[in-house]
Amino acid sequence: MAILATADRDNGRAQGLGKRNSGFSHAVPALLLIILFFVTPVLGLLLRSVTEPELGLQNYAELIGSGTYLRIFANTFLVAGVVTALSVVIGYPVAWALAVLPRHWSQLVFAIIILSMWTNLLARTYAWMVLLQRTGVINKTLMGLGLIDTPLALVNNLVGVTIGMTYIMLPFVILPLVGVIRSIDPAILRAGALCGANRLQCFTHILLPLSLPGVAAGALMVFVMALGYYVTPALLGGTANMMLAEMIAQFVQSLVNWGMGGAAAFVLLVVTLLLYAVQLRFFGASRID
Amino acid sequence: MLLDYDKLGAWKWLLLGMTLLVCLFLLLPIVFIAALSFGSSQWLIFPPPAWTTRWYGELFSDPRWLTSALTSLQIAAVVTVLSVVIGFLAALSLNRGSFVGKELLRAVFLTPMILPVVVLAVALYAFFLQIGLAGTTLGFIIAHLLVALPFSIISIGSALDGFDKSIEDAAILCGASPWEARLRVTVPAISHGLFGAAVFSFLASWDEVVLAIFMASPTLQTLPVKIWSTLRQDLTPVIAAASTLLILFTIALMVIAALVRKGRKT
Repeated sequence: MAILATADRDNGRAQGLGKRNSGFSHAVPALLLIILFFVTPVLGLLLRSVTEPELGLQNYAELIGSGTYLRIFANTFLVAGVVTALSVVIGYPVAWALAVLPRHWSQLVFAIIILSMWTNLLARTYAWMVLLQRTGVINKTLMGLGLIDTPLALVNNLVGVTIGMTYIMLPFVILPLVGVIRSIDPAILRAGALCGANRLQCFTHILLPLSLPGVAAGALMVFVMALGYYVTPALLGGTANMMLAEMIAQFVQSLVNWGMGGAAAFVLLVVTLLLYAVQLRFFGASRID
Repeated sequence: MLLDYDKLGAWKWLLLGMTLLVCLFLLLPIVFIAALSFGSSQWLIFPPPAWTTRWYGELFSDPRWLTSALTSLQIAAVVTVLSVVIGFLAALSLNRGSFVGKELLRAVFLTPMILPVVVLAVALYAFFLQIGLAGTTLGFIIAHLLVALPFSIISIGSALDGFDKSIEDAAILCGASPWEARLRVTVPAISHGLFGAAVFSFLASWDEVVLAIFMASPTLQTLPVKIWSTLRQDLTPVIAAASTLLILFTIALMVIAALVRKGRKT
């Protein structure tokens, strides 16, 4: 190493090592792409939200002033909240199990989770459209078991959206949480047990508090993702219960109302960035991956 | 205690039970579509009254499915190459560079990943309408590249983190030019990161739905757009057949990726 360091100083500049001191130029293609096709379009859309049809904030006023739009916001936050809660409650035990299971078993479960994650989103959503319909397997099974007499309305409403989205979001809670639980020192729990705590006390006083940062980070990520989700709500939801992303798409595609579309998109953008800022502030950058 | 598998006591069964249920929950739709794709009933009745390959026949005899699959494949291939090359350069810069605002740049590069896709889709759609890229292959490639690039940068960046740069310096001392050293020493050494970047970029483009819905034109659509527009009309079993093929394709990619990773370790 010493030889290399000396060589670096002596020959470096002549042979091009000195150029490493900057290295910014390599980032230029990516940066150009982002500025031209990401920053510019997003700023353009924001501009349209305050200039179309005329200069001013009337689009935002209409979004906040109209009961219809407020209900869509409420729906979106409600579904995102329920999906987040369900994902955490269902995902926590699985993440815990994954952290302690013998290696070959946890690898199998990991493979199943990854497979489901990488399976085409439309394929999975289609499956739920069929599974949840009135004559679908779930209704038939429930009726066959005598639990219900008439088919439940599980699709084309917020129930369907919630089921489909929880299914999609579960891995995003489980995977980061496994790492957090694995990083907890088992000796702390043993110490708790030695001090006389039973299993439930160990869980509520040691394991849960120590894994809480992971839970919060995962929950926040799922919540943010759910707020802006388009495909699953559009296919599993009904026309009566639209969500935010669908509203944006409809403003732009069907109504060709760029002002309102831009305003709604900007609201979603700001909420998303704010929530990520909260995440960064409290849980650090490493959690976003 | 609670983290020792053998000492979990009754909690073990609770955890195992939940895990089993979640695994079934995750696998249910996948197995279900695969079964339906071979079912004879048009109305997607389960279990199917009889088995047939009819839907695969319909899938392959409809040129629109094939065309959209080829479109997806072409776009994903171009996006993969661009994403790996641009991502490699950007990762080099973030990993090795020393300049003001490096952390900001890193954040900027990863932003397309955290932003709701629908916002990006609407913004790009408006922009492409203005500059004449809407409904073009180039438009698709740019849009997909934006979502693929963060995957590349992360994957290649973590490979670069694990690579000892002094090996590259040694090559330069032995007379290689900086680029020669990078291509002949660094690139092979981080090939697993480049491969990961390629797989993720390909899948990001291949599976992209939301951007594609906005980018598509009646004459130019990717496979997900074709599935989307068919889904909005009816729940035909042909989609089950298309979905099953997509799932097999994903499994094949995962197996290849796992084999490559295993081959690297031994």
